[in-house]
Amino acid sequence: MTPTVPRPGGPEELDPGLARERTRLAWTRTAISFAAVGAVVLRSHPVAGLVVIALAVPVWGLHHLFPATPIARSQSARLLTVTVTVVAVALVALALALLGQHS
Amino acid sequence: MAAEDHRGGPGAAPPAETEPDARYTFANERTFLAWTRTALAFIVAGLGIVQLLPPFPGVPWGRHLLGVPLIVLGAVIAVVGYHQWTGNQRALRRREPVRRSVLPGILVVSIVGLAVVAAIVVLLSAILRHG
Repeated sequence: MTPTVPRPGGPEELDPGLARERTRLAWTRTAISFAAVGAVVLRSHPVAGLVVIALAVPVWGLHHLFPATPIARSQSARLLTVTVTVVAVALVALALALLGQHS
Repeated sequence: MAAEDHRGGPGAAPPAETEPDARYTFANERTFLAWTRTALAFIVAGLGIVQLLPPFPGVPWGRHLLGVPLIVLGAVIAVVGYHQWTGNQRALRRREPVRRSVLPGILVVSIVGLAVVAAIVVLLSAILRHG
């Protein structure tokens, strides 16, 4: 890691450490994870599965549609939404595990 | 813990807060997202064990014993991950050291515990089938 002087207008100056880009990719990975959970739910409960797969879209949009601001207070609401969504998915999974019929 | 409590004591001035380097804020957010994906992986693993795995012969409750804790732990990891993001962000704004994360500990205890339970269920199933 040799320290380099950021080239004016280059990627290192516009997005230091490519932090913004890496965070955008992390949001995409997380949205894909929601879709993967939905695919497993789909096997036992098609309606719930489609709902969970559809959740991937707002999760992805939380970052991509509302421009990311580094101000913590506006971030807090977005990340809390994700946390509440994960807990809701866990409750759906728990209901399916305890009440659903098993092969 | 006690050594840090004086900062929040009555009459104490709140620590000065400044917006940290955006790179740290982004890194903290990515850490939160990584724990979110870990939580989702626990949930999908738990659901998969209950719904997709064939039942253990002789141990009909074996799948639930493994799957239900995984789903619950998924929810716990998501909530603790958010709590740590909040704490880390506060520490960054106050230029304080970031607290050591409790999540790796939770992860290790969960995985070791579940591995032991899984081994017991598999052995019990084998004994009941052939015994």
